Amino acid sequence: MKQEMLRFTDVKLTYHTVHGETTAAEGLSFSVGEGEFVAVIGPSGCGKTTLLSLAAGLLKPSEGKVERHGSCGYMLQKDELFPWRTIEKNLFLPLEIKRQNTKENRERARELAVKYGLGEFLQSYPAQLSGGMRQRAALIRTLATDPDLLLLDEPFSALDYQTRLNVTEDVSHIIRSEGKTALLITHDISEALSLADRVLVLTKRPARVAHTHELDFGGKEPLKRREAADFSGWFELLWKELNA
Amino acid sequence: MKHQSYSREHAQFLKKRKRNLVLVWGFRVGLLALLLGAWELVTAVGWADPFILSSPSRICKTIASLYRDGTLFYHIGVTLGETVLGFVIAVAIGCGVALALWWSDTLRRVLEPYIVVLNALPKIALGPLIIIWFGTGSRAIVFMTVLVGVIVAILHMLNAFIATDENKILLLRSMGATKPQILRKLVIPSSLASFISMLKVAVGMAWIGSIMGEYIVSKAGLGYLIVYGGQVFRLDLVMSATCVLCLLAAGMYFLVVLLEKLLVKNAKN
Repeated sequence: MKQEMLRFTDVKLTYHTVHGETTAAEGLSFSVGEGEFVAVIGPSGCGKTTLLSLAAGLLKPSEGKVERHGSCGYMLQKDELFPWRTIEKNLFLPLEIKRQNTKENRERARELAVKYGLGEFLQSYPAQLSGGMRQRAALIRTLATDPDLLLLDEPFSALDYQTRLNVTEDVSHIIRSEGKTALLITHDISEALSLADRVLVLTKRPARVAHTHELDFGGKEPLKRREAADFSGWFELLWKELNA
Repeated sequence: MKHQSYSREHAQFLKKRKRNLVLVWGFRVGLLALLLGAWELVTAVGWADPFILSSPSRICKTIASLYRDGTLFYHIGVTLGETVLGFVIAVAIGCGVALALWWSDTLRRVLEPYIVVLNALPKIALGPLIIIWFGTGSRAIVFMTVLVGVIVAILHMLNAFIATDENKILLLRSMGATKPQILRKLVIPSSLASFISMLKVAVGMAWIGSIMGEYIVSKAGLGYLIVYGGQVFRLDLVMSATCVLCLLAAGMYFLVVLLEKLLVKNAKN
């Protein structure tokens, strides 16, 4: 039995504003096992980002329990690299924040960057890099503190189509070869299909898990999967479930 | 990029740019010369009374005589001192208060109406109070300078702090950042450009404050020379002090621009 990295048990979350209250999630239960890549898809506005905030511990559930084993790293839609810092200094940012800015950790971050093709850009500023390279740097920054769980909030949606395919390939490769556990939130069905081991389909608000699918086709590489024969079958199934 | 690798088209483009730059500068200098020349001419041939209008040559003579009797740099020093001191205090208080208001949402909501009213109030209305509270010395003028500049500095910086990218704050919070860390690593560095633009506005405000202060109450300074010159109908003195003021204000502005070049060199990239 794999170690559970994240478990949601009967989670309810209510937002309060002056104008009223909104229940973003209710009866939401699922878990993510060690080394697993789980994708969550749902209709727009169903509270996908809320789910990540809960997982990251930025929000407390109104009811139920969110348990996380170990540390997590959060990757957002845009790279959010600080423009006044060099790429290297951007990679060190989480180390500074977590007060783990030791020589070994800096060296580790630098090695990751070199290993995944950012070596020559360490002294560049973010503006000098392409969108794809910047998103790669954002991933390395997320990995710099060696988190046990990666939370990915539509990390490809701000990229153009071609870059997006490449970066998806990249990110998948990096996450798999570093042996990381990942929870990906997306509205893009084919992205979920090309990356994940398991896909969760959420309902409309209040969000709860409507369907769970184990994926096992066409290997682990996103582009290979997109070419697989049963890809479109999966796509249609998820499309129907999303619009149910 | 190496110079040799320029194509002929690019060389032509550069040449055109250079020619345009020369043209602009030529017209700038020409316009100034034309204005000064016309001014000198109409007063010299008697179309306008030089006693009322003064003239470039009379201004030069007045400045030279102020320089000879040693009062030119004394008056410049007084005004410059008041302006710079008031500017520095206003900027320091402005940034400090803006930080406090960013830090505490409640404090901001409590103080908001006061700041709005203070911002709308014409500061010169406080002139009599300032004289009574601070006397007729430089202290009163520095206070007026601070008063004119500080609210603008607060509002400018507060807007910059509040406009900090929410997603970047979320990113830092997901790393477990504390509020002081968010302030130090994100809010302050990302407000650098706004800080510079605030300085540019504050320089202008400081000159308004110090000259206004000298109009109300002073025994020395360029504002004093202007008021005094007006009272005794020595328009040469009024014009001379105004010209010197123009040069000083422009000089201080360019110092800020220089600072901008130094600070923003990397950040902007």
